[in-house]
Amino acid sequence: MSLSATVWLLLAALYFLLPLVATFLFSLRRVQTNACCSLAAYGFVVHNGDFWHTLRVSGVLALEVIAISLVLFVPTIYWVHLKLPRLRPVIAFLALVPFVVPPIVLVVGILKVYKGSPVWFYDRPNGILAATYVILAFPYMFFSLDAGFRAIDVHTLTEASQSLGASWPVTLVRVILPNIRAAALAGSFLALAIVMGEFTIANLAQFHTFPIFLQYVNETQPYGAAALTLISFGITWAAMLSLLFIGRKRGGNLQLAGAR
Amino acid sequence: MSGRRRLPLAWIATVPFFAYTVAFLFLPAGSVITGAFKSNSRGGGWTFSNVTTLFHEPYRHAYIVSIEVSAITAALGAVLGFAVAYAMIRDNTPRIFRGVITTFSGVAANFGGIPLAFAFIATIGPLGIVTVFLRNHGGYELNQHLPLFTQNGVEFVYLYFQIPLAILVIAPAIDGLKREWREAASNLGASSWQYWRHVGIPVLLPSMLGMFILLFGNAFAAYATAYALTTGVVPLIPILIGAYYQGNVLDNPHLAQAMAFGMFVVLAAMMVAYIPLQRRAQRWAK
Amino acid sequence: MEDYEAQEIEFWAKLEEEGMSRSSMLRRSAAAAFGLTVMGSSATALAATRANLAGPPATMTKAGLADLVKAAKKEGHLNTIALPPDWANYGEMMSTFQKKYGIKISNANPNGSSAEENQAVQSLKGDSRAPDAVDDGPAFAISGTAQGLFAKYKNEYFNTIPRAMKDTRGYWVGDYWGAISIGYNANLVKTPPKTWKDLLKSDYHGQVALNGSPLTSGSAVAGVFGAAIANGGSLNDVGPGIDFFAKLKSSGNFIPVQSTPQTVASGQTPISIDWDYLNLGYTKQYPGANWKTTIPADGVYGSYYCQAINASAPHPYAARLWQEFMYSDQGQIIWLKGFTHPARFQDLSKRKVIPKALLAALPSAAIYAKIAFANSGQQTKAKTLIASQWPSKVGS
Repeated sequence: MSLSATVWLLLAALYFLLPLVATFLFSLRRVQTNACCSLAAYGFVVHNGDFWHTLRVSGVLALEVIAISLVLFVPTIYWVHLKLPRLRPVIAFLALVPFVVPPIVLVVGILKVYKGSPVWFYDRPNGILAATYVILAFPYMFFSLDAGFRAIDVHTLTEASQSLGASWPVTLVRVILPNIRAAALAGSFLALAIVMGEFTIANLAQFHTFPIFLQYVNETQPYGAAALTLISFGITWAAMLSLLFIGRKRGGNLQLAGAR
Repeated sequence: MSGRRRLPLAWIATVPFFAYTVAFLFLPAGSVITGAFKSNSRGGGWTFSNVTTLFHEPYRHAYIVSIEVSAITAALGAVLGFAVAYAMIRDNTPRIFRGVITTFSGVAANFGGIPLAFAFIATIGPLGIVTVFLRNHGGYELNQHLPLFTQNGVEFVYLYFQIPLAILVIAPAIDGLKREWREAASNLGASSWQYWRHVGIPVLLPSMLGMFILLFGNAFAAYATAYALTTGVVPLIPILIGAYYQGNVLDNPHLAQAMAFGMFVVLAAMMVAYIPLQRRAQRWAK
Repeated sequence: MEDYEAQEIEFWAKLEEEGMSRSSMLRRSAAAAFGLTVMGSSATALAATRANLAGPPATMTKAGLADLVKAAKKEGHLNTIALPPDWANYGEMMSTFQKKYGIKISNANPNGSSAEENQAVQSLKGDSRAPDAVDDGPAFAISGTAQGLFAKYKNEYFNTIPRAMKDTRGYWVGDYWGAISIGYNANLVKTPPKTWKDLLKSDYHGQVALNGSPLTSGSAVAGVFGAAIANGGSLNDVGPGIDFFAKLKSSGNFIPVQSTPQTVASGQTPISIDWDYLNLGYTKQYPGANWKTTIPADGVYGSYYCQAINASAPHPYAARLWQEFMYSDQGQIIWLKGFTHPARFQDLSKRKVIPKALLAALPSAAIYAKIAFANSGQQTKAKTLIASQWPSKVGS
């Protein structure tokens, strides 16, 4: 491994891991003495019914948001890169709007606009909350996918695929998608992280998701909060590793660019 | 480029996308734009006063600080993120690093708020493990050079989610740097620096510009971490918006909406600057 | 408190349309009976509330209690909001209520703010998840009443609640009050601070924290009030309080980090200016922090929170029973156990029903006798001053 790579990775490891180590050391303290050592904080988290319930809710929500985002954004961005390059800056601009609308404003607006909607949409997190999270994930999805599409030669791939007789859907799924795998995965990771971390909107819409549970513990249970931070970090990381694994299995063959 | 005649049909494919954004973004967000110009007084009606208030203190200062923090962390995040991403992708690095770092980045990119603030307080705060270690082993007072509860401290902590975000976005673009170009360049006698200056960076520039915008927006909208660290002593616009819209003390939703409108203007200005820059950068890439 | 009442009537006369469809209103006859069905002009709305439509009662007596309990049990469910279990002993309040009546409580957003509570009442109107009752800061109780969010209800003990702590028409009642206090970690703080002026001493470098910013946190605003009283200001002028914190910051004693159970337990905020009931609670919760509490005698400031019932509550009878329970002697003593002074404190102590041990657990009554509450006019004035001066004087 080259020297500069080693140095950079080492510095990064230091910056990113030390705070987690500090959190871990704090999570081992006893309530009675504020000193080492006890696993009570972890016991508190693992035996908490709320923890498992909200984790399940958020997990399902995350998969749903990723699926909707990919289905909505990948074809659109592909199409824009292929046929409508003038539209790209417009969409890039739209992608910044979610940053500007404070979550509180977004949720109040959405609750107002969709008040008359059917119960399965309005009263369930898998309806209105998922729809909103797709919008939140939009900037991250867009810029990731955009970078990915730039890195490949969309026109050549499409023409080649079509000249071999493939239809549009086949081209998209079996030729384009494997080539933007890294970008799609990156966008999916970010969407997953958003769902596991978004608090304000879920809170105001009165849904009981994992970040709500996280925030509550953060504000009330000192040692439990530290334990929970690390546990949720670990769980999200494991979820991403499994996404990575799934992605790798599907698209292992047709890599025409960036062979890593 | 495919014939002009096909454009009308081609647009149809983007309809689902636009329909979705209108339904779930514009309709709800429209109230921000219109609300910014509504009056708080009993009669209702329209007014510019909310927006003109923004040019006075403390809002002006809050915008300046917000923009500073966002720009600095976006720039640093981009550069450092690129360095780490390149380090993990390049030839001699074992492949496992990429998977580990990419997934870790996915988690870290959304790690924020109280847990992140607390993690850093526990590391480099007044009683943090690093602070105490340096104090006991050499009498070095870390907080004198890196005080956590200041703007610089907030920026230092923000990098924890900015750098991973940069890594995730720039890595696919780095993949696009074909190995053959590097080989060709070195065959022609170019040094590493020359390769980057004439080939690498120009190719990556459009994506890096996009990444900068994303990082900027990401930091601009963030506030939970800064609030946990400084409760608004380092003034940021989203904190003020929260104070006026959902706190326990102040209550002025239209002013809050005006502030959000101001954020919108700032980001719009960035996009306006981004488009010509990106077009220029694109020329080099093709 | 006359000034706000005048404001009230005016606002009340101009109810805002909430955009709820007529059919969904009629479906909720119980709520419709409760008067805030904005069916059109404000005049008809006012008339509707005055008419005695069948439905949940607007006043309660001992005799009517049995019927209320029956109706509430039939509803079987109660939605509360923003009630942290370890704040004012709400945890015990909720579990006792659930056990006594068999009514399940869903508590949403435990650490929510008053603004979020009122927002939830509005946003979720007509939804079964809407909160049935809220625990608001006084400013939000008043503004919520003006927006027509709450129902009129005078519980059985309404007359024993001090006039200064309730809306005489019955839209909200004060539930408990507390004073701003100085909590400190006796392991890390060698000389205990006793007064506001003490906090400026150099012994406390890098140790003093507030529970949030006075722009968003009621507790921090109370801190500014208390500091103002101690430094030559008054309820009408909190400028000296803001200057005090500016001095505290420039001397390096003040750390801007928000004090939370986490920072208290870990020792990162050795001194925390916060409500007495929170600081007193920390002593038992975090023995490792050796936490002690003082009420600074040079500036004793207090505030109370208010109970109000959602006008379109999904479970209106359960909501009223909840209020009855909290204001009964049993409920008031539960609040007292949480180190707060419940609204009927004077009444309870006159009848000598307070256990001696509980009285002993609270700081001396002599200090509390000095307490000052700001009325809504003074609060608004203070907040405006804070909003304009705090960022520049205490900010960076």
